[in-house]
Amino acid sequence: MPNTSAEMPEWLPVATLTQSDLTFGEHTFLDASVIGNAPRHVLYSYYWNIEGGGLGDKTGTPGDQTRFGFIPPCPGRFLLTVEAHGSDGVVRNASAWVTVRSSSEATLKRPDVSQSDAEDVISVDDVSMIFNVASEQFGSLKEYFIALMRHELKFKEFRALNHISFNVKRGEAFGLVGTNGSGKSTMLKIIAGVLEASEGNCSVHGSIAPLIELGAGFDMELTAKENIYLNGALLGYRKEFIDEHFNDIVEFAELQNFMDMPLKNYSSGMVARIAFAIATITEPDILIVDETLSVGDYLFQQKCEKRIQELVASGNVTVLLVSHSIDLVERICNRVCWIEKGQMRMLGTTDEVCAAYKSIGA
Amino acid sequence: MQSATTKAGVSAKDAWYPASKRDIFILKELVSKDFKLKYRRSALGVVWSVLNPLLMMLVMAAVFGSFMRYNDPTLGNYAVYLILGNTAFQLMNDATSQGMGSIIGASSLLKKVKINRYVFPVEKALFAGVNYLFSLIAIAIVMLVEQVPLGVTALLLPFGILMLLFFSIGLSLLLSALSVFFRDVMHLWSVVLTAWTYATPLFYPFAILPGWMQALERFNPMYVYVTYVRDVVLYQTVPSVGMHVACVAFAAVSLLLGMVVFKKNQHKFILFI
Repeated sequence: MPNTSAEMPEWLPVATLTQSDLTFGEHTFLDASVIGNAPRHVLYSYYWNIEGGGLGDKTGTPGDQTRFGFIPPCPGRFLLTVEAHGSDGVVRNASAWVTVRSSSEATLKRPDVSQSDAEDVISVDDVSMIFNVASEQFGSLKEYFIALMRHELKFKEFRALNHISFNVKRGEAFGLVGTNGSGKSTMLKIIAGVLEASEGNCSVHGSIAPLIELGAGFDMELTAKENIYLNGALLGYRKEFIDEHFNDIVEFAELQNFMDMPLKNYSSGMVARIAFAIATITEPDILIVDETLSVGDYLFQQKCEKRIQELVASGNVTVLLVSHSIDLVERICNRVCWIEKGQMRMLGTTDEVCAAYKSIGA
Repeated sequence: MQSATTKAGVSAKDAWYPASKRDIFILKELVSKDFKLKYRRSALGVVWSVLNPLLMMLVMAAVFGSFMRYNDPTLGNYAVYLILGNTAFQLMNDATSQGMGSIIGASSLLKKVKINRYVFPVEKALFAGVNYLFSLIAIAIVMLVEQVPLGVTALLLPFGILMLLFFSIGLSLLLSALSVFFRDVMHLWSVVLTAWTYATPLFYPFAILPGWMQALERFNPMYVYVTYVRDVVLYQTVPSVGMHVACVAFAAVSLLLGMVVFKKNQHKFILFI
């Protein structure tokens, strides 16, 4: 080694974790020390960041303390940092990553793939969806009658879905992936029962809870409280049930102090929190999770994921996740169906399908 | 949340109404939403529901009573004549013009959640009905001030209003379905409503109409309903059996037509909204 002492700092702080791999609920300690030609006094302060998120927590003014406890607020990757303030006026820092897995319970992983004894909750049997493109172009009576007179009412067929078949069993977490315009949403609408398939058959057993997005079941002028009741009603919940679980919803959405504020003062992330809290306060047979979730902040997304995994682990709830972001699908789902331009490209375990899907994008 | 769901009386698995009861709660919530929105951040709030028909009546009484000299003594009390006609017509007007766009307005919801689609136009009609209940206060005030006695025949008013409400629900269903396919309907309907306002003796006496129009009025449902309401409240007479039949018939035809058109086309709504 060449002599690099000129560039090398005289001293360096070191951060050592007592445990770097944690499951949610445990906590760890961070020991700070100094190597090299340390100044007489070193004071330490400590802070942590969450990966992809902002600053989490920090100690105040630097002190003599060298051991800092870290209690993970949620699963995820955290960067713990100590800042060493030397008496020579130099401030240096050292960091360590800690990974917190989602839960201490082993059950909260992706559910197992084959549960052959479980019943089918969603069976999609050779479903095709055909739109008559021309019929959608008539926005006015005049145009319609002119075309009718001229016998120009020709329909161009557009197949949004072409012979799709799959079954989802109770307790599965099933992912639907595909690029934009691939037919994911059309498939979802057919499963949700709002769109009738042109051909084939789609049967669903049990209650469905979709996440209602901003501007749909929410009214911006109403307060959060009023919106919770409105949304609950639209999802078919009993009034007594909402009364009883109102506090749980508020607590889960972490909006205790904002309940009597009109929704228009909320950010879209806050609305997504309410939507998620309402949809998952029940144990629906099928929970439909789509892109709406992605507007929440990092911490809340983690919380939602945990709740989804809890629901899946209960064995009664089937989760249908629709996304073009592959990360979420990989974390949660056990099986995935990949739809591309209306065709079913692949159906199989998450690892297989996601690997293939990613190779396309690469 | 997990622990809370187990301790509670209504368990998380039993959170839903059976399909038949769902719509009632939805209708209730939607009406209460519309009601709150209508008066949110207005100083007088719900008082406007009473004040509005009163002020409208005053304006019309000023214009047509003194200026146009429609103040025909055979009409009975002109102020009461006006407000009874206006409020009844307003019920149909509100129900249809609000109900018409209700399916289009609920599009983002209908694309996601399986809800019986009829609740939206029906809710708008019911909301118009709720507003009518408030305008009853205005009617009572006018009758008190004008010292028009209230007879026992007024007990028939709920029947007339109920039939008018059914008539409006039918129209609202029909228009909401049509406007999904042809947005022109929405523009056209406001013109129709204006024409209908003038074709119905709301502020003028029936007698000033030319003979052929008088003959046609019996096919004007709004004329029938408005006359029914005035008969039972203002003139204290029991309408003829023929009037009752007409009230029911118009309501039934409208409701039937609305339901058939709505039912036949509702599965196609999603393709157009």
